[in-house]
Amino acid sequence: MAPPAAELSHLPKADGSANFSFGGYTITAAVNGPVEAQRRDENPFEALVDVNVRPAAGVGGTAERQLEAILQPALRHLIAIRNFPRCVVQVTLQVMEAPENAYVNSKVMQPRLNLGIIPSLLHAAMLGLLTAAIPLNTVASATCLAVTNATAGSTIKVDPSPTEIDQATSVHVLGFTAGRDLLLAESEGSFTAEEWDRVLQTAENVCCRGQETGNDAEMGGYGAESENVLHFMRSVLEAKAAESLHWR
Amino acid sequence: MSSEPIFVLPGDRIDASLIPSHEKKPLRLGPGLRHVPPSDLVPTLAGQLVTDRQKNAIRVETANGRYIPRVGELVIGTVNKSAQEVYFVSLSDYTAPALLPQLSFESATKKTRPILLPGALVYARCVSASTGKADGLGPLVGGMLFTISLGMSRLLMMPKKAQQGRLVVLDELADAGVQFETATGRNGRLWVDSDSTKAIIAVGRAIQETDEKSLGVDEQRRLVKKLIKELS
Repeated sequence: MAPPAAELSHLPKADGSANFSFGGYTITAAVNGPVEAQRRDENPFEALVDVNVRPAAGVGGTAERQLEAILQPALRHLIAIRNFPRCVVQVTLQVMEAPENAYVNSKVMQPRLNLGIIPSLLHAAMLGLLTAAIPLNTVASATCLAVTNATAGSTIKVDPSPTEIDQATSVHVLGFTAGRDLLLAESEGSFTAEEWDRVLQTAENVCCRGQETGNDAEMGGYGAESENVLHFMRSVLEAKAAESLHWR
Repeated sequence: MSSEPIFVLPGDRIDASLIPSHEKKPLRLGPGLRHVPPSDLVPTLAGQLVTDRQKNAIRVETANGRYIPRVGELVIGTVNKSAQEVYFVSLSDYTAPALLPQLSFESATKKTRPILLPGALVYARCVSASTGKADGLGPLVGGMLFTISLGMSRLLMMPKKAQQGRLVVLDELADAGVQFETATGRNGRLWVDSDSTKAIIAVGRAIQETDEKSLGVDEQRRLVKKLIKELS
């Protein structure tokens, strides 16, 4: 699988923006805020987080609303919302590219949840928030796992392709903060308690790998997926900061 | 100034050796840092960690984002509307307006107060809402307003911008005989005034281009030469 790629602050009018691509998905995030909230939905104690997911083609429907409902509480935990009462932080996530299979038959069938896209959406939103210089409590990353049941026992695949998701008995998305706290957990399909324990442990290893050591010394064991997304984010943001503060 | 800039992400641990300590002065936290009792410092922004051991201060430096007002900063505001006692002044787009009392202008009394129409520009200092008296620096008459990034406005407000910030456009333009006045607001606004409209636009564009393309000293000199040729 291709390593993640990102472009930062490429939209001139937004406060912060980022393009994030990984695993066949390309997401553009535009972040504006803190701006004034509308009178009827302002909260006098904390900032609102407004997440807007737009599909690659057409207008958003129930599936996009569900993705927003999953992402919004996660982002709310990351943003220092208490610093900005009566404000709103707008996060717009536009799907630019999706792996071919993602939209197969989706028009004929009922709209269904696409768990595979959530990590890319979260990472794009994180980069957008960080370039918009919105105070955050911590950073986070997420990963998608597919459990396949074979005769020899169940296997866990990290960052599965859409075909692998179709064949899997259960699909899980888990997000962890940099401090190894569980941030979001969504599952689909049937699975046993032991499988869930293994999934949780694998996801934690994938998301938080190499955090303590400070470099990716403990590599291997998870095959194709190369580097930790948090390391990737750190390196692109560091390059961006060095570029914009070049006069220092 | 440290040799190697230290980059931090929100929630990172800051090494104790990086935090300045001083016998007498209290530690001052700038933007981008949060104090978690009892004694932890946690960054909230992604940027370069800057410490000033003389002032016993530490902050996280970023160049992008929206302006968040802080007490004591000089800003350029646009008057939105006038109320009985105050002006509603906009500091950045789509945010709640700031209040500027009409009596806080220099030598303003109940009888003689400056009359500012919507769209007028004022150079002012942010004060906390509870402290009352704001000493505004006065209206900016004429000229033109340019939008720049927060990093550039901070750069323009540095006392020695040529040595510390490698920003020479304004000095070069002045040396070339262009006469102009500028005022920089910490909210990413630059006001330029001159007798000729051409000069105003040239100065504003020069700053904006230096900002957008993050030009070096030589490139800035080249840009100024080009602009001077177009002006005359």
